[in-house]
Amino acid sequence: MTIEEGAKFVAAAYAIILAVLVLYYFLSARRVNALTRDVTLLEQEVRRRRGEAGGE
Amino acid sequence: MKQLVSAPMLFVGAGIFLIVGLLLAFLYAPIDASTMGYSQKIFFYHAPIAETALVAFGVAFVAAILYLRSQDPKWDRLGVVCVRLGLLFSALVMATGMIWGKAAWGTWWDWEPRLTTFLLVCFLYVAYFVLRSVVEEEERRATFAAVFAIIAFIDVPITFFATRFLPAGMHPTVITTSGTGMPGSMFVSFFISMIGMTLLLVALIRRDLGVEELKDRVADLKNSIGG
Repeated sequence: MTIEEGAKFVAAAYAIILAVLVLYYFLSARRVNALTRDVTLLEQEVRRRRGEAGGE
Repeated sequence: MKQLVSAPMLFVGAGIFLIVGLLLAFLYAPIDASTMGYSQKIFFYHAPIAETALVAFGVAFVAAILYLRSQDPKWDRLGVVCVRLGLLFSALVMATGMIWGKAAWGTWWDWEPRLTTFLLVCFLYVAYFVLRSVVEEEERRATFAAVFAIIAFIDVPITFFATRFLPAGMHPTVITTSGTGMPGSMFVSFFISMIGMTLLLVALIRRDLGVEELKDRVADLKNSIGG
């Protein structure tokens, strides 16, 4: 196998590795941001309801 | 919790080691003299990813034992995260291994011991998630999953030692008790990539554990407001 032929396989393998790892990294980062926002909103809602219950 | 989620230094460290490992693999390590030739460059990420996948399954095995001893949900979360990441890395091993196999052996797949046992590992850990999805009650799900993770792990050492005890296959045994079987420059490149991939696994475990904790927190808050 020539270097040129081998290089095509090597490039394909490393492209798959980098694409999958980078994609997973950004997807999990997005997941963290979304869940953190959900927690903040839900905590606000819990505080609001407790405030309403305390005022009654 | 915020610190647990970000773990940015681990990602930076992993990135540095992986980039340096890759540069050394292409610029410092020689082209393999065997029939594999230039395609052997795939080895410098393929092998560390494979080792890292097996380490992830190993951590899941330890977490399963700790869960069964303590019934603490944190060990169940660690188990889920490690099996998920182990499968992610396993998928990469299979994909890059098939590409390398086509380049080096002229075939995408061969039913030889290492490949077959690794495929079995993948199926077993996919079954782990199938099992989790069919058990609704939380504690029972965690207990069944822990028992299954312990049983599934039996195939991990079999996969690791397949090339040593069943040498009939095409898969080479690179690191043995008598040495590494590769020139020093190749080993340095491989070892640095190995450190990078291990750091990446630790960073992803920490981040995904944060995700699991946040999911539990969201569920608790929804329960507390009746949603």
